[in-house]
Amino acid sequence: MTEAFTDSADLLDLVQESILVRRLDGRILYWNKASEALYGFHRAAVLGQDVAALLHTRYSVPPDSIEAQLRDTGRWEGEVTRCTASGAELQIFVRWSLRPADAGGPATIVESGHDITDRKRAEQALGNSEYRYRNLFQAMAASFWELDFSAVGRMTRRLREAGVADLRRHFAENPDVVREMIRQTRVVDVNDQSLALFGGGDKAALLQSIEPFWPDASSMVYAESVVAALSRKPNYAAETRLRRLDGREFDVLFTACFPPESLAKGTLLVGVIDISERVRAQGALQKLQADFAHAARVSMLGELTASLAHEVNQPLAAIATNGEASLRWLGRPEPNLDEVNILARRMVADVRRAADIISRIRSMASRQVQEKSALPVNAVIEEALLFLRHEMQGQGIALSLDLGADLLPVLGDRTQLQQVVVNLVLNAMQAMAQAGTAHRKIAVTSRLSSPGTMQVTVEDSGPGIADAHRAQLFESFFTTKDAGMGMGLAICRSIIEDHGGHIWADAAAGNAGARFCFTLPVASQN
Amino acid sequence: MDDRLISIIDDDESLRLALVGLVRSLGYRASGFGSAEEFLNSSDIAASSCLITDIQMPGLSGIELKHLLVERNYRLPVIMITGRADPSLRDRALASGAICLLKKPFEAAALLDCIERALAA
Repeated sequence: MTEAFTDSADLLDLVQESILVRRLDGRILYWNKASEALYGFHRAAVLGQDVAALLHTRYSVPPDSIEAQLRDTGRWEGEVTRCTASGAELQIFVRWSLRPADAGGPATIVESGHDITDRKRAEQALGNSEYRYRNLFQAMAASFWELDFSAVGRMTRRLREAGVADLRRHFAENPDVVREMIRQTRVVDVNDQSLALFGGGDKAALLQSIEPFWPDASSMVYAESVVAALSRKPNYAAETRLRRLDGREFDVLFTACFPPESLAKGTLLVGVIDISERVRAQGALQKLQADFAHAARVSMLGELTASLAHEVNQPLAAIATNGEASLRWLGRPEPNLDEVNILARRMVADVRRAADIISRIRSMASRQVQEKSALPVNAVIEEALLFLRHEMQGQGIALSLDLGADLLPVLGDRTQLQQVVVNLVLNAMQAMAQAGTAHRKIAVTSRLSSPGTMQVTVEDSGPGIADAHRAQLFESFFTTKDAGMGMGLAICRSIIEDHGGHIWADAAAGNAGARFCFTLPVASQN
Repeated sequence: MDDRLISIIDDDESLRLALVGLVRSLGYRASGFGSAEEFLNSSDIAASSCLITDIQMPGLSGIELKHLLVERNYRLPVIMITGRADPSLRDRALASGAICLLKKPFEAAALLDCIERALAA
């Protein structure tokens, strides 16, 4: 060994990589400190030994090809598996350089190597997790999409740079921008379930912009998911509608998750679950409930027919009478046109009154979709009582109204709330009639029971509610009436609860009668 | 023209006004009241030659009013009107002594006929 080599050999002890020099037959000529640390053999013990045998070296490629490459290029690098003195197996990445024979000595190979065992293990684990993830991606019953949204990322960055602070609002005001983002979002991968759900013979049909799958009406769900991703939420879920390749739309639960690794890659993972069956079932249930409520309203109107007929008959009688009187004034030798003028005006007013009554009945009977608006609760009560006025008179019922002044409006559906009042008053009337109550009284009151809550009370002087019945009162098909269906109070409860209120029954103050109360939240001011 | 006074009781204001108008067009004087009690407290009770009253009203009904008039010895003939088509009501009305019972809406000729019968009685 030359002086220079010894010097550099000392230097090589400072290098953290394992450095060893061997002859072409494998016998070790040099072994630095890092090699000692790595393999656990002292320099003195290894010099002159065959490196491949000492370290049980295994190659990942055929040794022939390594030799060929060394001969041709003078270099080789690759991974080998070796055993340390303690028997541990290591993955080593080695670089070999061939030093041809010269006057100083025979041909040698200089090897530098470092331990990549941990890295390999991590890669393996990553591979396994990737494999598991791929399996999940494919095997889950849900449709999964991997989407490339790097273009969307650029778009939102530009928007921010342009000074758009509130992206949600910007998206809401610029649906075209959202649409463009949807166009720019591309499908990287989908699982088999996606093919089944969205149609298309093979995957390639789905690997395109998501635009065709995204109906305009669902654009805001996409915008919301972008807002969620940018505000570093881990995921976003919403119910919406998507479109199959054949153009049919269906209800889905859309979930997007934004793991930081995916975001860095510019992709996101979207899951789509078909909920059309559930939505259909819900729709059917709602329709059933609406039908039921409608049937109950119609049957209630049936019970009120006599009263309603009288209501309409009254203005008709007035019109007929005014008409007859007009004819008489006109038929006089000197027609009295002033009288006729007054009568004609009254007839017009009476026609209007009859029309109002009919439209009230129609709105009560029609199966309209619920429409909530801010309503003065006292007007609702008074209108409801118009339905019953005549019937109450006929039954000799004394009605007392104690309606609070300056009450705030409630948010509700006028017809439904009228239905509740009509039902409660009708129940009171029927209970008193059935019991043969001598002095029939109904008191209706409205007041603010607490800030933000309106309370309406309907109280009667009838037989009251048996304790045994109180718990079941509001259940469907519970009735104490001879010919009752038992839906009235159940529907009242569902209406009141749907309006965010409560309904209950207790004993009337100071006498044996029944008292029904319901509350409604006051409509918020904005 | 006939200056006899006919009183009319109906709690429905527009029908009451219509009846007053019709009776006036027939040539009589007419006076309207919203309830039996209002009529009982008025001076027209003695001046009326005939009473036209609704049956179903808050407070005293037309039939109860007729009984009360008999009790108090008022002999004025009573024509009753009703919105109900109830046979037992007709029996009760006529049993109380009403000259006629008219079902709303009715024709002027029918009312005129009743009024003439009432005034002749």
